[in-house]
Formats: sequence, structure tokens, C-alpha cells
Amino acid sequence: MDGWLLSLTVAVGLVVAAPFIGGILSGIDRKLTARMQNRVGPPIIQPFYDLLKLWGKESFVASRFQALLAFSFMVFSVVAFTLLVLAQDLLLIVFVISLADVCLVLGSYCGRSPYSYLGGRRELLQMLAYEPILILAVVNIYAATGSFMVEGVFKLGFPLVILLPGVFLALLIALPIEARKSPFDISASHHAHQEIVRGVFTEFSGFSLALIEFGHWFKLIFYLALLALFWVPLLWLGAVLAFIFYFIIMIVDNIFPRLTWTFMLKAVWLAGFTLAVSNLIVLALLGVGLAWA
Amino acid sequence: MIDGLLIGLTVGFPVVTGLLARGLPGVWSRRLLVVLTTIVLIVSSLLLLWRGPYTYTLPEFWDEVIVVLDFILLFYFLYLGFRIRHPLVVVLTLLQLVPLAYFEASLPVIHVEPTLAIDFLAIIMCLIICVIGSLICVYALSYMDEHEEHLHLAKTRQPRFFLYMLLFLGAMNGLVFANNLYWLYFFWEVTTLCCFQLIRHDETPQAEKNAALALWMGLIGGVAFVASLFIGYYQVGNLGLNSLMSAQPAAIILLAFACLALAAFTKSAQVPFHSWLLGAMVAPTPVSALLHSSTMVKAGVYLVLRIAPALQGTALTSAVAFVGGLSFLVTAVLAISQRESKRILAYSTIGNLGLIILCAGVNTPLSMVAALLLLVFHAMSKGLLFLGAGIVENRVYSRNIEDWEGLIARFPLISAIMLVGMFTMFLPPSGMLLAKWVTLEAVASSPAQWAITLVTILAVGSAATTLFWSKWMAHLLFHPSTAERAKREKLQLPYLASTITITALDIAVSVIAAVLVAALVIPTVKPWYAVKLALPLLNLSTGIGAFPIWPLFLVMAVALALAVMVFRAKGGKLVSPYMCGENVEGAPASFRSTADLEFNFDASGMFFDRALGEPKTNRYVTAVGILLTVLVFALALVV
Repeated sequence: MDGWLLSLTVAVGLVVAAPFIGGILSGIDRKLTARMQNRVGPPIIQPFYDLLKLWGKESFVASRFQALLAFSFMVFSVVAFTLLVLAQDLLLIVFVISLADVCLVLGSYCGRSPYSYLGGRRELLQMLAYEPILILAVVNIYAATGSFMVEGVFKLGFPLVILLPGVFLALLIALPIEARKSPFDISASHHAHQEIVRGVFTEFSGFSLALIEFGHWFKLIFYLALLALFWVPLLWLGAVLAFIFYFIIMIVDNIFPRLTWTFMLKAVWLAGFTLAVSNLIVLALLGVGLAWA
Repeated sequence: MIDGLLIGLTVGFPVVTGLLARGLPGVWSRRLLVVLTTIVLIVSSLLLLWRGPYTYTLPEFWDEVIVVLDFILLFYFLYLGFRIRHPLVVVLTLLQLVPLAYFEASLPVIHVEPTLAIDFLAIIMCLIICVIGSLICVYALSYMDEHEEHLHLAKTRQPRFFLYMLLFLGAMNGLVFANNLYWLYFFWEVTTLCCFQLIRHDETPQAEKNAALALWMGLIGGVAFVASLFIGYYQVGNLGLNSLMSAQPAAIILLAFACLALAAFTKSAQVPFHSWLLGAMVAPTPVSALLHSSTMVKAGVYLVLRIAPALQGTALTSAVAFVGGLSFLVTAVLAISQRESKRILAYSTIGNLGLIILCAGVNTPLSMVAALLLLVFHAMSKGLLFLGAGIVENRVYSRNIEDWEGLIARFPLISAIMLVGMFTMFLPPSGMLLAKWVTLEAVASSPAQWAITLVTILAVGSAATTLFWSKWMAHLLFHPSTAERAKREKLQLPYLASTITITALDIAVSVIAAVLVAALVIPTVKPWYAVKLALPLLNLSTGIGAFPIWPLFLVMAVALALAVMVFRAKGGKLVSPYMCGENVEGAPASFRSTADLEFNFDASGMFFDRALGEPKTNRYVTAVGILLTVLVFALALVV
């Protein structure tokens, strides 16, 4: 009973802490970017001020469904992260994440806006790029641990990354897509790019935009937690490494241009896919995974 | 007493009312007959569920009747072949007629104990056929009126239409009950006939052509069936499917199963036989709904699921899995390139049937559970989507989904039904996604080495599936923001009754999917496989993973209620979108740009014509399909 209570407390704690960490990361990102551009930049906690301000603004919508879909995006991002900290089924979590993304795309199509439409299309292509990688990553984790549950990773006893270095790399390649960073920030960018304006986010404003920003923090932390999972039982090391990778991505974001969607699709598929599949084949050939042992 | 009565009501009754609908004059007698049949079928299928499995032996007289009817049917196919001047139809019919005549001449014992064997698989199929199938017939009452009004027909063709629709249901029930292979074969051919007649219903040149295509491809399946009938009879000694299943798996017996699998692939439109199902969309939409959800293509997967237990551990089962996998992958990718609503749905059907066949081929306890879940949920969701697509088509007068842009503003009710239907096809926590989740876990955990290939196929196919459904959903929502609040359209009672019932059923069964698993799926699989499935608190646990079903639905419902409350309170002012220029008053898709000129913003879909455009790709797909099918089967039978 005690163990059960403890893990629940930890889970609730993590879910509550996630948006704060996400917000601060986003603040650091802005500060870092500003410094690299020789600006002073906003305070680290500026994202929270922004969120509060958006929250209180008068609500404008492009269609009745738009707000609902923004809300759904936020809810399912939170649900995915919650399932992760509750050590649930990884495959299900991947499906819930893609549900959240579909909600965002549908929201961007509400209202007949050219920029939002363009962003929605590109967001779909991004999903096409990383969804197979995520599914294959989960299958790899199953092959290594003999379980689709997050629990299995904890029971393994040594870091997953020893068995799955290819998968870890594949996820690193796909991370800039989820974080909306260059070179893969094609559906929406943090920087000013006139040809898509704000992409998928163009038509969201006020409260809806606040919901989306909030959900995005959750998704970011979810992704970093997924990377950290590869280092269990050295979870602290995993967490530190995940943050370091995120900082590298921030720097790459500032020195790299954004590339076309065709490049993204090819790069992520060729590199990520090959890495994930060959890792699976190697596991099977060596017979080291717990699933097929 | 009740045993015989239930068989009479599910198999015989729709045939009788179909013939009456053909013969009796008047619209109301026909409507009454269809509604009566619907009620009788639904009630008797529920009674069958309550009665549970049983076997039933009919007197030998009935075997004679079936043989006579079968020969009449084959001669009719021969006549059709000459009438539509299609040599392939003639040859393929003769290839069945001549061996069967020889077979009859050698005075075989047709009689088998039992004639009909109703097990849990048959009950699941019967429920799908009787509930979804007959609701589609109800829908057709309104649809065919609108359809004929649109065509300006002088004389209604509805009597013939409903004859074949109802006959279809009866034949399908007979097909899933039959244990005698001869009976199974007879009902199999009846469904081929119904399919042919319904596709050519509108009698346009295109309809005649596509119906002929469906006919000869179906007849290939018939020939394969006759071959397996022969092998079965001469190797096993009788025509019982149960005897064939329990025979020693010698090479020659495997050949019989391979022939049955081939017959199933033709019925289920697996690559390379997929073109007939794509052609079948020229038929009125209720026909498509029936073919895709509860009859015809489901007969194929039913047969594969039926014989799968006998194939455990053989190389043949891997071959079956690969054919299914190929169909899933290819159609998921090709569906992205389609503009026509019914064609997208058709590709998705072939893909999902491929998934079921893949699961049957993987042949583990868990994969069989996945196959059955896919079977049930696909029937509901796909039936619903076709019904919705038909209603939209009769209002928009186009099947091109680019003309469906912003449909939600014009026809909110039917758009909402379509959106729910699409949601249930690929997003959690719907039943289809649950089934897909079990599929992935089942394939990943299957002991065979080739599981890696299949898992890769599944990963790519799922991503493509997500893309083509979500872009279609998005397209329905894409409408000018300045439109005033849309008024709900009025739909006829049969439309409302059928679509809303199936929607409610789909969601309800999704929420209590665990009950479905406990009551029907596990009992189906249990006699043949050691199922290790737990249902803690009505959630699904596979032993390697867990899917909280109703908690996810609960979260969704609470979130929905909360969202509505919050946004009601906050309100929201409708504004025009940002267009990088001044919006033009009264023209929501236009903005002022250089020199104050008006520019119109046009949005096309995303179809990748250059990479995926038909018919170029389809040729390759067929070629690769034929090659691969021949190769894997040859390998499986030789090894």
C-alpha cells in the first residue's frame, strides 16, 4: 500500500511540476536566443507572464470548434504525460500523443485561413515523419524489456540505452520536430518567418493560445522524459542528459536555417527509420532482448 | 425447436421477404417488408447470442436441394457470361461446372453431420450481418428514393434492388453457419451473384464493366473453392469443414487450405484482387456500405479466421500474413492520393481487411483476439462512414472531397456523424484503435523472426492512415469564419435511424469493449488457442501491455463537458482570419493586396499526385501483388 501511495504522490508531483519546468525551459530558450542575437532578452519567467496575460484576454475565435480543439490538444498532452508517469503502456501513450497532434491540426483548419492551413498541412507531414519512429522505438523497448509498460524499463536493471543506442539516436533526430526547432520547425516557428506567419498557431489567440502553449510545455517535458527513460536506473543522469540535448537543440535552432518539408521527411525517415529498424534486427540476431529470449 | 427456427429466420426469412419485395407492387409493401425483415433479423440474431453455440443437421433432402440450386446458379453464371460477352466469366464458370458435374456423376455422399455448426465466430458474424446489414437496408429506403429521383427513372428498379440486398443477408448468414463445404460453397457463390447484380444496378456502361470485373474475380475464388472441395473430399473422405480442420496437416491438405485462402483473398479484395472493390463504388452507396461492412468482403476474412487454427505452425500461415500486410501497407499509402470519398473508404477497407488477414496469419492467441476486434469495430465504423458519405453525396452532388470543404457549416449534423465515424477509425480510445493496439502488440510479441518485417509495415501503415484520415477530417472543418451559425439540416427518418443507431452502437461497444472480449472474443479463440488475457475492471491487459478503455472515455467526456462550460462562460467573438492584407467585406476567402486589388485565396488538398498518382501506381501494385502472392504461396507449399 505504501509503495502504491508513494508512486502516486510522485506521479502527481511530476504532473504538477511539468508545466513549470516546461515554462522555465521555454524562458531559458528565449534568453539564450536573445543573447546569441546580441539582445538582452526577457526574464526567464516571461513565458508565465505571457500565459497569464493570454488567459485574461478577450476571446476571439475563427470557428466554434477551434477553442474546443485547442482544449482537447491541451487535455491529451496532459493525459499522455500522466500515463507516462503512471508507468502505463508506451504504445498507448504514443497513440494519445498523436491524438493530441490531430486535435491541433484540426484546430488549425477551423476558419478558412491560408497561413493556419499551411501550418496544418505541414504539421500532418511532421506527424508522418515521426510517428513511425515513435512506434518502432516502442517496439524496440518491448523487444529489450519484454513489456510495453514503462514498468518494464525499470525492471530491466541496467540502462536501456546499452541495448538501444540506435533508437535513442533516432529519437534525438526526431526531437527538433516535437520541440518545433530548426531545421525542422516547418509547421510553426518561434522566430519570425513571414511565409507561414505562425503556421498552425496563426488563428489561435487569447485563452485558446494559452491552452496550446500550456499543452506544448507538457509535450516538451514528455519528450524529454522519454529520452531520460533510456537511462533508468540512472534516471538523474538521463534527466541531465535530456536537458543538455535540449540546450544543444536550442543552439542548433539558432545557427541552422529551417529546411523544406521534403528534406525533413527524407532525413527523418532515412536516418531515424534505418536506425530504429536496424537496432531491432540487431537485437533479434543477438537474441539479447527479453522479449524473444 | 428454437434451434431450427433461428436458422430459418436468419437464413430463410430475408430470402422470402426479398422475393416478396420483388413480386409485390407498391412502395409501402416494400418498406414494410424491409422494416419487418430488419426487426426479425435483429431480434433473431440477439436470440442466437442468447442461445449460444449449437450444431444442426438437416435431412439429406436439403443437401439435394442445395446441389440443384447450385447447378442452377452455375448455369445462370454461364448464361451471364454469354450475355455480357465475357469469355473469362464463361471459362471460370466452366472450370467449376465441369468438375462439379464429374463430382456429381461419381455419386458422392454430400451429407455431413452436422450440416450447420454455429460457434461463437458464427454468432459474431451473424450479429454483424443482422444488425449492421439490416440497418443499411433501412437506410437504403430513403437513399434509393433520392437516388432514383436524381436519375429521373421512368420505372423504379427498387424491387430488384431490395431482392438482392435481402438475399445477400440471408446468404451471408448461411455462409457463416455452414459446416458442409458444399453448402458453404453454394452460399459463397450466391454472394458473388448478389454482388454482381448490385454493382450493375444502375446499368450504366461503367457499372456493367465494373460488375463484370467483380464477377470474374469472384469466380476465381469459386474455382479455388471447388479445388479445395475436391481435395477435401478425396483426402478426408467427407465434405465436413470440421473434418478438414482436424485432418493431419499433410502437404495435400495444406493445398486445400491454400485454395480456400486464395478464395478468401478474392472475396476480401486483397492485393492483387483489390481492383474489383474499387470498381464497386459505381453502385448506389447502400451497396458499398453493405459490401464493405457486413457482407461480401467480410465473408473472405471470416473464412481465413475459420481456417486459421488449422494452419498454426505451418509456413502457409506466414504467407497469409504477408499478403495481408502488403495489402495494408499499399492501400494505406495509396489512400493518401485519393480525392473521391468512396475510393478513400474502399482503400481503407482493403487495408483493414489486410490487417485482419495479417493477424490471422500471425496466428497467435493475441493476434486472433486482435483480428476479431478489428472485424467487429471495422464493420460498425466503415458502415457508418459509407452511410454518411451517401447522404452527403446526395446533397453536394459530388464524391470529390475537395467539394466537401467546410461541410460542417453547410450540413452540421451529417458532418458531425462523418467526423465521429472517422474519429472511431483511427484515434484512441475508439474500438478500432484498441484493435490496432492489440494488433501491434500481438505482432511484436509473435515468436516468428519475420515479425520485424510485419511490425515495420504496421508502423509505416499506421502513420499513413493517420495522415489520410486527419486531412479528410480537417477538410470538413475548413470553412469561412464569417459564416453565421449553421442551421441543422433535416434528414429523413430512415437516415437518422440508421446512422444514429450505428454511431451510438459503435461508441457504446467501444466503451464496454472488455465485455465484448469476455462474452464473444475469448470464447471464439479459446477452443483453439491458450488465451492469456486479463480484463481488470473492464480494461484490457495483454500481459505485455495494458489499455485503460473506459477511463480514457471518462477523461474525454469530462474534458468535453468542461470545455463546453468554460467556453460558454468566456464566449468568443468570431473574427476573420489573418490573410496578410485587408479582408474583403462579404467575401471571406478574399483579401486586398498589391494596388488594392482583390485576391482570392484557394486551398487545395494534399494528394501527392506526382509520387502516388493512379493509375500508374496501381499497375505496379497489381504486378507486385501477383508476384508476391505466387511467391509466398509457392514457398509455403514447397517448404
